[in-house]
Order: sequence, then structure tokens, then C-alpha cells
Amino acid sequence: MPETSADATGLLVDETPDRTFRQSLVYVGRLFWRDKTGLVGLIMFLMVVFSAIFAPWIAPYDPLQQDLRAAKTPPAWTEKGSFDHPLGTDNLGRDILSRIIYGSRVSLTVGFFGVLIACSLGLTIGLISGYVGGRTDNIIMGGVNLILSLPYLVFVVFIAAILGRSLLIVILIFAFTDIPIFVRITRGEVLRIRESGFVEAALSIGAKRRRIIFRHILPNLIGPLITIATFEMSAMIFYEAGLGFLGLSVPPSVPSWGNMLAVGRKYLTIYPWIATIPGLAIVFTGLAMNLLGDWLRDVIDPRLRRVKK
Amino acid sequence: MQRYILSRLIQSLLILLGVLLIVFFMLQLTGDPVSLMVSRNASPEQVQRVREEMGFNRPMMVQFADFMTGAVVGDFGMSLRHRQPAMKLILERLPATVELATVALLMAMVIGIPLGLLGGSNPGGFWDTLCRLAGLIGQTIPNFWLALILIVFFSVGLGWFPTFGRETCTVFGIHLPTRSVILPAFALCLFTTGQLVRFTRAAVLEIKNEDYVRTAYSKGIGDRQIYTRHILRNAAIPLISIIGVQFGYLLSGSIYIETIFSWPGIGNLLAEAIGNRDFALVQAIAFFASLTVVILNLLTDIAYGLADPRIRYGD
Amino acid sequence: MTRRCCFILLTLSLVAITPLAAMAAPQGTLRVATTTMPNAIDLPMGAERNAHNVSWQIYNALTWINDEGKVVPALAESWTISENGAEYTFKLRKGVKFHNGEAFNANSVVATWERGKQDKMQWKEKFAIAKYVQKVDEYTVKIGAEGPSPLLLRVIAEFWAMIPPRYYQQMGENGFLNHPVGTGPFMFKEWKKGDRIIFEANPDYWEDGYPKVKRLIFRPIPESTTRMAAIQTGEVDIVTRLSSEEAEALKAVPNVKMINYPVDRVYYIAFNNLTSGKGQPTESSLVRKAMNYAVDVQAIIDALFDGYGRQATGLITPGDWGYDEEIEPFGYDLKKAGELLNAAGYPDGFSMGFACPSGAYTNFEQVCEAIQGYLGAVGIETDLNLMESGKYWDLEGKKQLPPLFGDSWSEATGEALPRLKGALGGMDASFSAWSDPQIHKLLDEIGRTVDDEARAKLYVELQRYMQENPPFIYLYEPVTFEAVNPKVKDYRPRAAENYYLKYTSIE
Repeated sequence: MPETSADATGLLVDETPDRTFRQSLVYVGRLFWRDKTGLVGLIMFLMVVFSAIFAPWIAPYDPLQQDLRAAKTPPAWTEKGSFDHPLGTDNLGRDILSRIIYGSRVSLTVGFFGVLIACSLGLTIGLISGYVGGRTDNIIMGGVNLILSLPYLVFVVFIAAILGRSLLIVILIFAFTDIPIFVRITRGEVLRIRESGFVEAALSIGAKRRRIIFRHILPNLIGPLITIATFEMSAMIFYEAGLGFLGLSVPPSVPSWGNMLAVGRKYLTIYPWIATIPGLAIVFTGLAMNLLGDWLRDVIDPRLRRVKK
Repeated sequence: MQRYILSRLIQSLLILLGVLLIVFFMLQLTGDPVSLMVSRNASPEQVQRVREEMGFNRPMMVQFADFMTGAVVGDFGMSLRHRQPAMKLILERLPATVELATVALLMAMVIGIPLGLLGGSNPGGFWDTLCRLAGLIGQTIPNFWLALILIVFFSVGLGWFPTFGRETCTVFGIHLPTRSVILPAFALCLFTTGQLVRFTRAAVLEIKNEDYVRTAYSKGIGDRQIYTRHILRNAAIPLISIIGVQFGYLLSGSIYIETIFSWPGIGNLLAEAIGNRDFALVQAIAFFASLTVVILNLLTDIAYGLADPRIRYGD
Repeated sequence: MTRRCCFILLTLSLVAITPLAAMAAPQGTLRVATTTMPNAIDLPMGAERNAHNVSWQIYNALTWINDEGKVVPALAESWTISENGAEYTFKLRKGVKFHNGEAFNANSVVATWERGKQDKMQWKEKFAIAKYVQKVDEYTVKIGAEGPSPLLLRVIAEFWAMIPPRYYQQMGENGFLNHPVGTGPFMFKEWKKGDRIIFEANPDYWEDGYPKVKRLIFRPIPESTTRMAAIQTGEVDIVTRLSSEEAEALKAVPNVKMINYPVDRVYYIAFNNLTSGKGQPTESSLVRKAMNYAVDVQAIIDALFDGYGRQATGLITPGDWGYDEEIEPFGYDLKKAGELLNAAGYPDGFSMGFACPSGAYTNFEQVCEAIQGYLGAVGIETDLNLMESGKYWDLEGKKQLPPLFGDSWSEATGEALPRLKGALGGMDASFSAWSDPQIHKLLDEIGRTVDDEARAKLYVELQRYMQENPPFIYLYEPVTFEAVNPKVKDYRPRAAENYYLKYTSIE
């Protein structure tokens, strides 16, 4: 229920109207309808999620199945293409459409679990930092500033080069380097609520700390966290492709978009579709998530929403 | 103000200390580099001798103390492959990277800020949608992929630009960029361009909504005057910090672009060092890149402080 | 191997053209793309082949290995070998000048050796092969080794680039590295770090008629797609080290000529009987033979390298001295593998640790995965551990890898002895995990035999022994691809991935 999650004044009152689930759905739907770009983003994103979940059913071929006789078939809309392989085949005759569909699994797995780990750890640390304050806060924020001032790409590449190629390692690298952003957001929100005097007031009337966290602080965080999570997921998908390009991401046999790019670039001058299509898939997904993220931000930040009207 | 700068300075130094700690211990993970330094026919005694000469057999804390004392005076040890001081190698490559990053930043500003203004002036309209989309594509397109496509299209196909390398023309002893910088800078600038579109647009929208701008509008002051007097001036403040951060990103984020275009800069050196497992050099570059980011952040913070009195007095 | 024949034909036709083009003044610019930037234009300091290839264009050694793999005179006009094969006396060529005008003489040989054997040099053991270097007179020099040293002429041909002693002393180590001076066909002109190295033809070069081009430019292009683009646009004339996939992509492009040739490098899975492999089933030669039969190397070459590659028959390649033409690769034979395992007492197989380096060699991770599959098919379960290569070599050097591990070994001297000694030297060699008294005995003998024919016989004996008692699963010898502008004439790359560009001309 994004529209109640942050109040422009920062004064937090339990004003959440108890709408039914259905009413909320209708409300969110209306918000989407009002801003078509958000809707487009949502649809695009759902397409990616759908292909990731149902990959075995919608992919026409096994993504690893080689057919050397059909190698380097161009996409269907070109002269020599055929609808056997709508997006053509790669250097080993593997169906590109199927690989793109399966590749969305790798990308979304990296993005989703990376963000999930980063977000949950970041949230916990941020709550501690903002709530406990004092020396703990100083130490945590020191660490956060430290990680944020590291040149991200340089370090990710460095760690990946040391630790080797596996899906788990890639996810963990992204998760750990991404914690600081979530810590910052959480802590900022906690401080804002604390400064509003609300917490003192609640404490003075005998509210329990735990209740304050769960009832007042967390609901306010959901909106901004989801927004940031969307952007961060998009960034992780982007960087995963980059690591794949350097040969530092998941093992080469795994059909990931980054690996497809890495292989396809060798043929870019002669068989351009092998590298172009996974590149477009990355742009497509990134665009979807950014449109969605932008929309969430506009919806969650009422000040900007007002401007838009 | 002085107190503000001083506290930021101390903060920056602490961060650099942390960076040194991280890069040192990351290097320990890579194993003993001696096996990379001797020829494969070396006998175990020879290997042991090199290990002793390089000091790799000392306790880790002693090595760390040694590393830190070296770092303070700018000595980051020897590159294992080049057998030269790592800092010297980095400084040799610095001009090329600075050239590329500067041109890319200028390109991003020239493209991104007008698009952001255009979008922000008419939110929700056709142009706004178009500008936002352009910005988003800039942010989501993998630059290494685009770089290759640019080469195939503009260099191999049309022959407008050289495929790789850096050519400079020297005027009065100053090395000026030539058209060889255009493709790499364009590929590199896209992400920053997207960011600038987004932030400029947001800043314009926010300021437009401020009371004084509304008042100005209600007084019947023209659009152009409001833009030059109020909006641009006020939007410039958050933009400074973004541009500072982005310059740091451009300096360190060129690892793909420099490698693809064989641009003789630090990113290229880094990719090569990683490829050769020359982790001593990687370590030095990682520190150098962090140093750049920290210094740029410090400078933007100070500039920000000077531009915005609230920060000056608030701290 | 039809492709190899093509290459040989190509080389022969190039050799045939050469005399016609002699005597013309050098002209044109030849631009070579390398995969990495040399770390130094120097032999003892050069990190790898790219650096050495660039360096040899401006230097000469006393001897040279010609295109047929024979040692021929270069800066030494002739030499005699002492009775026991330990001392070589060289008569030096007179009238040769370094690029700075300094005369070449016996002092240069002494200075080159003294510089090269310093501890800080990467290739110091290639200089330490000589125990003393002694000036007899201005143009006579004696080089003495510890004992009989059949490889000395080849090692000095590959590493002992002659330097000018006075200039070196004046400039110091760093000054010399920044502006190197030799006697070679080209002279150092300029080095823009990370960008290009420029050489110019040496007008006073001692070999008449060489070099053919006026200017030589080396440019590093790490990204292979860019290398491919650059040869297509004509921005460079020679592009080295392409993969079979890239070569195939360039085949269709006009104005690019593709060449390929086998490389003197052997890939293998090593056994261990020194540390982790003690008491393991692989101590039985039957098991080791069975494992050689169990792996379908040709299928791996076909699937992962488009068929470009040669099944290894041992650690000696066809280009090496003393290669046994009659030897056959094991081949894929599951029945034999099963029988051998039965005979060895492991009818149900066994399990074993297995490690491979990642990120070091083309497709090697997949090769190891395939081998894991093949071994599994005969009941040998392996636990494959892919490790970052720096860490891997560190452990390999310390002999701490699992009892099965993959690696490869190249050789530039045209004789397999250094590779054999390195990989099979037992405890005395850092990267060896195997010790076999019979192999030690044969290697010692080869190392003491100065007579080429006698040495070749010993190599053959060794190869047959290593077929019966394989210390490795022999895998493959790779093929490399290069793209050349058709205007380039007489470019002669060799199996050791080296080249000398003094012949090469451009139209």
C-alpha cells in the first residue's frame, strides 16, 4: 500500500485506512493506469519473470542442445532465417530464443537473491544503526561510507577474479557490496521517524520498542526499500552481464546473457545476432525495472506526484 | 566552515585507511604470487629464495606493517609482471584515462542536462517521455556491448573513426584529444548521461514546485527568466555533487571501454593486471581508484558546502 | 592433419620467394597487433612470449634457431665444443655495431651473461646455465657449463640477447630498459606505454638485405573482437592469437588472409606419486593406462576446439627434436580401459580428487569437466575442483594439489628437455608431482649427450617408456590462428608462437 507509506510532513500517525485487499488492488491498478510508463514497465517485467519461471515449458529447445548443422542460422525475419529458430542459433547451433529464456533465470536469480540478501542484511544493520545510535552507529556508518567510496566495478572484478566462477559467488559478491545502500535508506528513515518525536511519544505512553519497529518503522520502509530494490536488481543484472563479458561470472556452460554476449562478440562482424539479441534482452530487462522503479518512486514520494498532476 | 572541512578531511583519511586494509587482505586471498614470478623450470630452492627476497615468507602482520608504511609514502610495491613500481605504471597511464573521462563527462553534460531540462519543463508530455526514455536506455544499455557495436558500425562499416588506440595532437606541448576519443567517450558517457537526465529533470520539477518560483510565475515573470534566474541556478547545486561522483565513476568505470578500444589508460592496465594475476598491481590500482573517488567526494562536499549556506552553518 | 600440411606448404612457398626480394631498400610500415603490452623490451626481463617476440626484432644472440629448427651461427661465426661437452668456444663475428655505434665484441657476451644471471631477472636460470663466460681475446669467448650441456646453444639462441656493455653501464638498468639498444635488424625509436612501440630499420644491419620494412609498429589490442575489427579496417597488418571461432568468422572477409599452425604446447592431466597421490590406485601403471584409454581426446578436440588440435602422444611434440614418428596416441577404448582396471584390481573403479585451473587456458574448464565425465564412465569418480589459476599454481608449486590435476606446458627451444625435466623432475622440480627412476635416468642421459643423433635415440626410448608407464593422461596440442593482410609477404610464425620480422615485407 504505497500511498500511505511515507507522509510528506514526516509526522507519522496511524492513519492507514483499513482498505480491503481488493480495494488496494484497484487503487494500485488505477495508479498504474494514470502513468502509462509504469504500466509498460510492469508488463515488460512480468514478461521476464514469466519466462524465467516457465522456462522449461515455453522454451522451444533445450538451451544446451547443440546442432552443429543448424549453427549460425539467422533470425526468422531475415532472408535465410526460419521459424524453427525464431531468433536464430549461436555458433554451436543452440537455439538463441531458448537460451534467452533460460538466461532470464540466471539474471533474475542473481538480481533477486542478491537484492534479497543485501536488503535483509541492510535492513537489520540499518535498524540497529539508527535505533541504537551512538558508537555502534558511528562504526556502522564508517563501514558503509568505506564500501560506498570503493570503486564498485574494480572491486567486484577483483573479488570475482580471486574467487572463481560460480552462481553462488556472483550472488554473494553483489549482495555484500550492495548492503550499504540499504543500510543508508533504513537508517535515514529510522532517524527521520525518531526525530519526529513520535517514538518518544509512543515510548512515553508505554509502547514497546519492538512494537514501534514493527508497527511504525517497518511499514514506512517498505516503499523506499522496494523502490531501491528494483533499481539495485536492475544494476545487478547489468553487472552480472559485465562479469560474464570478462569471463568472470557463472561457468561458461550456463546459459546466461553475459556468457552469451561474451561468446557472441567474436561473431559480431559476421553473425551479429548472436551477440545483439542477449544485449537487447539486458536492455529490455533493465528498461522494465527502471520504468517500474521510477514509477514506484513517483508514487511513493508524494511531492513529486503532486507535481505530475 | 573550517570545522566542516576538517571533519570531512578526517573522515576521508579514515576511509582511505580502511581501503588499504581491504586491499591488503584481499591480496592475501590470492595465494603466494611467487609461482607466477619464477619460470616453471625453477627448482624448489630457487622458489624459496625468491620468496625470501620478496619477503613473502614473513608473518602477515609484518608484511602488513611494511605495506602500510610504503603506502603512506606512495609506494605500492612492485608490479609482479612489469617489475616496476606500481605507482609509476599507474601515473604513466593517468593522462589517457583523464582525457577519456573528461571528454565523456563533457559529452554527458552536453547531452544529459538539456534533455533533463526539456523533460522537466513539460512533465508528462511527449518530449518528457522521450527524454526519460533516452535517459533510461542510456542507463541500462551495457556499455561494453554498445562499444563493440559502435566499432562494428562506425569503424568497420562506415570507417569514420579508428577502431582502437589513442591518437593525440600536440599543440604548444599540450596533448589534445583527436577523433579517436569520440567512440570510447560516447560509449562511456551513456550511463552518466542517463543519470544527468534523471537528476536534472527531478531537480527542475522540485524547484518549480518551490514557493518562490510559484510566486515568480504568479507575478507574470517570463519562462526564460525564471529558468535562468531560479531554476538553473538552484538545480546546479545538486548537479555539482552528482557530476563529482560521476567523474569518479568515469575514471574507475572505464575498465571495459578502455580494454575494448585498447585505450592506454588505467582501466586497460587493470584488466591486463587481472588477466595476468598481477595482484600487486591490481591492489595499487584499486587503492588509487578509491583515492580518486574519496578526493572527488571531498571536493564536491566542500563545493557543496560553499554553494549552500545551510550546510555551512549546519555542521 | 591437412591443415598442418597447408602451413608447411605456405612456409615453403614463402622461403622460395625470399631470394628474389633481397637487396631492396627497406620500405613501408608493418603494424603488428599483440595480445598484451610487453612489460619490457628485453629478454631476461620480458614476462612472456609477446615481450620476447617484440624484443628479438632489435637484438641478436650468438646463435639462432632457423625456421627448420636447426641451430645456426648469428653473432658467433663458428664454435667448437670441448671433449666433455661442457665448454663451448665461440668465434665472434667482426665488424658488427650496436645501434648506438658501440662495437660488438667479447665484452658484450660477458656483460650480457652477468646482467642476465642477476637474481632480479625473470629468466635468470637461462643465464645461470653457464657457470662461466670467459673472454679469450677481442673476438673469442668461452662459455662453460657445469657438465655436458647439449641445450646450451638453443638456450643462448632464445635468451642471450647481446647488449652493449658501455651503453648499459652509462644508462643503468632503468635507462637501458627505457631505451634498449641491440645489434638487431630494427632499432628502438619510441615506446608509448600501453599504446605502441615503434622500431625503425637498422641501416647498418650486418645481414645484407634485411630488414625489408622501414618501420615496425607493435600495438597491444587485448580485446579479440577489436583485433578482428582492426585487421578488417586495415589499421593493423598482422593479428596474432585468434581462436578457431574467430578465425572462422574472419574467413569470409575479403582482404584478410588466415593462417594457422600447431603450437608447441602440451595439455595433460598429471598424476602424483610424491605427495597426495601416494598409496593411490594411480601408482599402478595399469590404472594410468586405463585412464588414458578412457578419455576420448579426439571428441574433446572436435567439440571444444572445432577439430583444431592434435592428440598428444606424450610430452614431446612433432616439432621437437627426437620426436618418435611411430608413436600413436592411446585413443578412446573403453574395453581396454575396463580390462586394465580389472587387471589392476579395481573392477569397480575408485574415487579420487581432481583439480584444474580456471581462467588460464582456452576452454580448459570444459575440458576438465568432460574428462570428469569420461572417467566417471569407467567408474572413476572424481571430485573436480576448479581453482583461480594464481592460487592453483601456488599450490602446484608447493605440490599440494589433489592426485589428479590438469595443466599445460609450452617449450620454445625446439627440444622437450626443459619441459620434461620441469614436469617429471620429481622433488627437484617445483612443478613436478611425479618421480620415476627410469625417467630420471633417461633424462640425465639426454642432458649429458651432446651428440644430436644419440640424443634423438634416447628421446625415442623415453617416449616408448612413457607410453607404457604414462605419468600423465595425455590430452592435446593446440592450434593457433592468425590473420594477416594479404599485402604482407614472407611472415613466418613458428610453433613456439615466435616470429622474426626481418624477412617480412609489405607491398
